[in-house]
Amino acid sequence: MTTAPAKLALSRVSHRFGETVALAPTDLTIAPGEFVSVVGPSGCGKSTMFNIIAGVLTPTGGRVSVDGRDVTGRAGEVGYMLQKDLLLPWRTVLENIVLGATLKGGASRKEREEGVALARRYGLGDFVNHYPAALSGGMRQRVALMRTLAMHRDVLLLDEPFGALDSQTRFAMQQWLLSVWERERRTIVFVTHDIDESVYLSDRVVVMSPRPGRIRRILEVPIPRPRPVSCLTTPEFAAIKREILDIIYEEAPQIGAGTPETGA
Amino acid sequence: MNGRGALVLKVVYPLLALLLVIVVWHLAVAYYQIPRYVLPAPHDVALHIADDWRALMKGFGVTFIEFLLGFVLGAGAGFVFAVLMDAAQPVRGILYPILIVSQAIPIVAIAAALTIWLGFGLAPKLVIVALVVFFPVVVNVLDGLASVDADLLKLVRAMGASKLQVFRHVKLPATYSPLFSALKLSATFSVTGAVIAEWTASTSGGIGAYLLQANSRLNTSGTFAAIAFLAALGVVAFLLVVLTERLLTPWRTSSTARRWSRAYWRD
Repeated sequence: MTTAPAKLALSRVSHRFGETVALAPTDLTIAPGEFVSVVGPSGCGKSTMFNIIAGVLTPTGGRVSVDGRDVTGRAGEVGYMLQKDLLLPWRTVLENIVLGATLKGGASRKEREEGVALARRYGLGDFVNHYPAALSGGMRQRVALMRTLAMHRDVLLLDEPFGALDSQTRFAMQQWLLSVWERERRTIVFVTHDIDESVYLSDRVVVMSPRPGRIRRILEVPIPRPRPVSCLTTPEFAAIKREILDIIYEEAPQIGAGTPETGA
Repeated sequence: MNGRGALVLKVVYPLLALLLVIVVWHLAVAYYQIPRYVLPAPHDVALHIADDWRALMKGFGVTFIEFLLGFVLGAGAGFVFAVLMDAAQPVRGILYPILIVSQAIPIVAIAAALTIWLGFGLAPKLVIVALVVFFPVVVNVLDGLASVDADLLKLVRAMGASKLQVFRHVKLPATYSPLFSALKLSATFSVTGAVIAEWTASTSGGIGAYLLQANSRLNTSGTFAAIAFLAALGVVAFLLVVLTERLLTPWRTSSTARRWSRAYWRD
């Protein structure tokens, strides 16, 4: 595609581990500032694709580009966050936020100031000198996202970042993430198991399927932003969710198929 | 826990326990009329300590130096070994069996050989104390290095960190907790190591040598005075390790960075 300038593009990216095809040749183009979720059952190649985009895994075929630059197999080109917060317990909140700079030779005064500004902007201003052990799970995930933001990468790669949180905290974090995204104007690729989460957050949802891992469909989410909580119960939302479920479950082995239906 | 409760738990209770031991000891000696050459009463030992204070303190100093230097030497060597073994699989494969076999050899046996090689001075004592600390440090630091979360390593690599940066900022700090567990465990054993070394051969006159002399003269008060000093030395060794741990790993005991530390942010 040459018409729209892509922020992130995968072209014919594929990967095999020995004989197993983990990811069949895949094309995906993501526009600047777009929020794209990736859903699918386990084994669908989500993690493989994620690691390839992050640059920690070199694909056996195809290329990844950011702003048209080839970054295949190069780490450090996109921001990256996992379900585990992976904060370093011996570093304060601020030191964790500026970890990216530290790893590149030391955080300057200016970078530390930026880190503090981030913490203040997103409600952790009173905790910059705290160690992670003193924080709640939700707060720790927010610090982890700030650490990702502080790396100044246009593309953020988030792998089930809220998967370990309880449902209330999780919902609060989703809204918080949207507010951060609207303010920072970054491009987000968000991997999740939770279909509600993917629809609520995204401009587009990429549905993947296994054996071999590949993209089945890419769905637009035309729900206008900002999205109030009430949008979760609209027919529009339900229709998209049903469509995703249909794609995922038409492929899944039918448990108990062939036995007569019992009960209500 | 509030400050007062912690103080009671950490200072008052141990002192009470010590007092209890002395009281029971005193009562036992008085009630059973135990002769002084078998078990001296607490006040006999106290009198002996007062009489021979200078010699005991000198011995304490000598043994303390043996402990301290040997301990730092052994811990340092153990740490370097662990890092090398973690960095290179062949080094680990070759050294690990040797280390385990070396642990099976009683320290006393090595002590005799060391006297032949290194003489009667400070050197064989340092080696023995170092040997006591070495193994626990190697094993624990290796564990610490190996237990760093694989996802964390992936994350910092994705952030563009070099191998050296990963070691410095991620792997090295992860070894502190297991390192100090090993050091706390071996602090008191190291004092035992120093005593054994002094028994084998000593011209320097540490507490261990003092104990041996007192014992050979059936000077039981002297023996018990030496035991009291050795116990004190063990406690001092342990407290030194705990204090160092508190200084170097503030995140384990405190919820925020210390105000005077470099990590502390002030506007």
